[in-house]
Amino acid sequence: MHRRGDIWTGVTGIAFALLLVLLIIPLGRLLWASLLDDAGAFTLKHYREFLAYPYYSRTIGHSFLVSGLVTLCALVVAIPLAFLIARVDIPGKTVLKTLAILPLVSPPFIGAYSWILLFGRAGYVTTLLQKAGIMIPTVYGMHGIVLALSLNLYPFVLLMLAGALQALDLSLEEAAQGLGSSPWRVFWTVTVPVTTPSILGGAMLVFLTAFAEFGAPMIIGEGYQVLPTIVYSLFVNEMGANPAMASTGAALLVLCTTAILLVQYWAVGRKRYAMTQLRPIPPVRPRSLLRGLLAGYGYLVVGLSLVPALVVAVTSFFESRGPVLYPNFSLGNYQEVLFNVPRAIANSFVLSTASTLLDVVLGTLIAYLVVRRRSAVTAAMDSCVMIPYAIPGTVIGVAYIVAFNKPPIVLTGTFLILLLAYFIRRLPYSVRSGSAILHQIDPSVEEASISLGVSPLKSFAKVTARLMLPGIVSGGILTWVQTITEISATIFLYFGAWSTITVVIYRQVSSSNFGSAAAASTILLVAVFIPVLCVNWMLGERAVTAV
Amino acid sequence: MATALSIEDVRKRYAEVEALAGVSLHVEGGEFFTLLGPSGCGKTTLLRCVAGFLRPDGGRILCDGKRLDTLPAHRRDIGMVFQNYAIFPHLSVFENVAYGLRARRVAPAEIRQRTVETLRLVQMEPLADRRPDQLSGGQQQRVALARAMAIRPRLLLMDEPLSNLDAKLRVEMRTEIRRLQKELGITTIYVTHDQEEALAISERLAVMNAGRVEQVGFPWDVYLAPRSAFVAQFIGASNTLTGTLAGTDGEWTRVQIGGWMLRGRRGEGMTGRVLAVFRPEAVELLRDDREPPGATVGEGVVVNREFLGAILRYRLRLADGSLIHLDEHKPDPAGLQKEGERVRFAVRPADVMLFPAESSP
Repeated sequence: MHRRGDIWTGVTGIAFALLLVLLIIPLGRLLWASLLDDAGAFTLKHYREFLAYPYYSRTIGHSFLVSGLVTLCALVVAIPLAFLIARVDIPGKTVLKTLAILPLVSPPFIGAYSWILLFGRAGYVTTLLQKAGIMIPTVYGMHGIVLALSLNLYPFVLLMLAGALQALDLSLEEAAQGLGSSPWRVFWTVTVPVTTPSILGGAMLVFLTAFAEFGAPMIIGEGYQVLPTIVYSLFVNEMGANPAMASTGAALLVLCTTAILLVQYWAVGRKRYAMTQLRPIPPVRPRSLLRGLLAGYGYLVVGLSLVPALVVAVTSFFESRGPVLYPNFSLGNYQEVLFNVPRAIANSFVLSTASTLLDVVLGTLIAYLVVRRRSAVTAAMDSCVMIPYAIPGTVIGVAYIVAFNKPPIVLTGTFLILLLAYFIRRLPYSVRSGSAILHQIDPSVEEASISLGVSPLKSFAKVTARLMLPGIVSGGILTWVQTITEISATIFLYFGAWSTITVVIYRQVSSSNFGSAAAASTILLVAVFIPVLCVNWMLGERAVTAV
Repeated sequence: MATALSIEDVRKRYAEVEALAGVSLHVEGGEFFTLLGPSGCGKTTLLRCVAGFLRPDGGRILCDGKRLDTLPAHRRDIGMVFQNYAIFPHLSVFENVAYGLRARRVAPAEIRQRTVETLRLVQMEPLADRRPDQLSGGQQQRVALARAMAIRPRLLLMDEPLSNLDAKLRVEMRTEIRRLQKELGITTIYVTHDQEEALAISERLAVMNAGRVEQVGFPWDVYLAPRSAFVAQFIGASNTLTGTLAGTDGEWTRVQIGGWMLRGRRGEGMTGRVLAVFRPEAVELLRDDREPPGATVGEGVVVNREFLGAILRYRLRLADGSLIHLDEHKPDPAGLQKEGERVRFAVRPADVMLFPAESSP
């Protein structure tokens, strides 16, 4: 079957070319820019400068501190919740699990903005308490970032651990008990070790996502700068942009992320326990009072993480004048958004849809190559394709500006630069979801079609692609959701008419137009929640692994 | 007239492993031919070369004298039944069977008629509208068979089609497969590692080992007259003793095994160390001093015994420490030998096959 020059050779070539132009070269140019002085000679002075001035260097510490605290909070909140969902018979479990997915797909900057609406200087709660004579510290700064991000990201740990717990076979715990272990001992010697990789995996996702987060720190951090925000500040500095220093910051950002991944690889490695589940462990049903308390805890946590969405939605229907909101029902904010920035909303939908389609098509083909045409070449492609997964959006933003603002390729100021940045950032998602489902389809099904007289390409389309469809569609929807909420790369790359809804929200919050910011946020959240709930309904239990 | 298949010196290498080291076979039109061998012997590789999923490194594959190996897989007109059935899970039973006909742009009315006809052959007509996930393993197997036969292929290839079924169903299905194949007269190549299945189902079979064909023949021949120690040991149960040639005794060859002299057939061209192979059913337990004329008599200690219903199988330790099996048919509960008891047994020289020792696997 491995004829030279078949269609798959072409796909391999295109995939490598795209990865080279859209990923390797921009990252190389970024590194290059950080290592050259004004005269164009090699220098390490930008790195020295970055590390010498506390104004820059402390952001590294801030980033680690914030991400560490967010991870800790997420673990504390999510681990009990996971046990609750997996092991205790509480009412409305499915609803709880479904709702817990929503924070993951809502952009953290909307969360940050919403906490400002509640606890900011003129926040609803702050004002209310002030009237009662109680002064509370405001939400701005590090603790605000940690609050917003923790409530956004804890579902990573929750979903992975709950999945692992539900995959445990009853016989495993029974076997341990049969060997004379007490339930407590079984918990520590069987349940904990077997689920630890899932907990660590979830924690790592939380840490990396928090580390790369730009929007929430930008909105709620005020003076508290982290690596992605300092890179942005350096780039748009009113005292004159400093691309070399911005590139240096971005390079350090990549360095840190890579280091984290290496530590994870070293610590956890590829340790995963394969389990064949025959009988799931039945949930325990505690006495009604305890059951009520436990259920209450579950609903409290999940409810709390959905507060931002609710606050934003309610606010969007208030009358507004700048940062001042009046609790009278009004559609004024929506009118303003729809009349002033319809283009940005349209841009967001068009760009996300187009880049998602590109991701899905190429991602599916790459997944097929990687899974079904194993060779040294496709293995290399598999590794390359996963790089964007570890590269923060901020880095892609700076790298694309550095790489594509002068010939041979000039893309700055066009919609193409956004499209390509979105495309490359989310390509790993499509490849992963494609290969995950492909592993479940036996290759002989496609061979059966070929032997019945259907050409290999048609067989791929009629059988394999058709069977991959549920995975492709759900992967595509998640890609779309991640793309339409993108801000960290967009903020560097958008230009004039090519603004997006996320940029509009950010700009409106920055200029304290809280009403229209709320309306735009609500539009975005509705656009994101509906497809995610559809995927969840479509896939049922399997949705957990898709995230 | 059904298609004849010729395989000429086909070779295939995977990195370090020589999967096919020059295989030549001829399968007659309408024949039911089996490739039998242990896993990794190259039988599936050979089948996939014929199907077109693998490209041989050398050699030729011919169908009725015309090159087959130069055609892409989808133009070979071959029906294939896969080990895991490879049913299209998104299509109904009917659509699965009609799939190949649709690809051939057969007229709709004829598709309907031929599909129903084929489903009737495998007794699946009433389940035509079922989804594959509503079928049992045996039913999926029938659909896979019907799908491969509906296109009236030149060749029918089967890759361990029964290995996922339980023992009873396996026996039932192999009879069924043979009946259908006879009815339609399609030249069939069947791959299995199960020697009993191969003996039961095949017209002729090829025993393969390490990328080579060890022996081609009728089941009876392969069992009774294996041409190598490998074949003798792979087909059926056998006892293998290592010994040294010690001259001839009339028409028999004498082999020295420890302190015991065994007589066997066919000693030409062998010197030095040899393997003496004989079946457990060829060993006769002696209960008195009577000695069957012409047989070699030996002594051993009963190590254990297994009651298998129709057979009582003793394991005996000989003086030199080697172990042999002895099968007693229609065992008599009154005449049981206990563990640790010393017994005498007899082997007829005609039942002892001798092979050069270095040819052992």
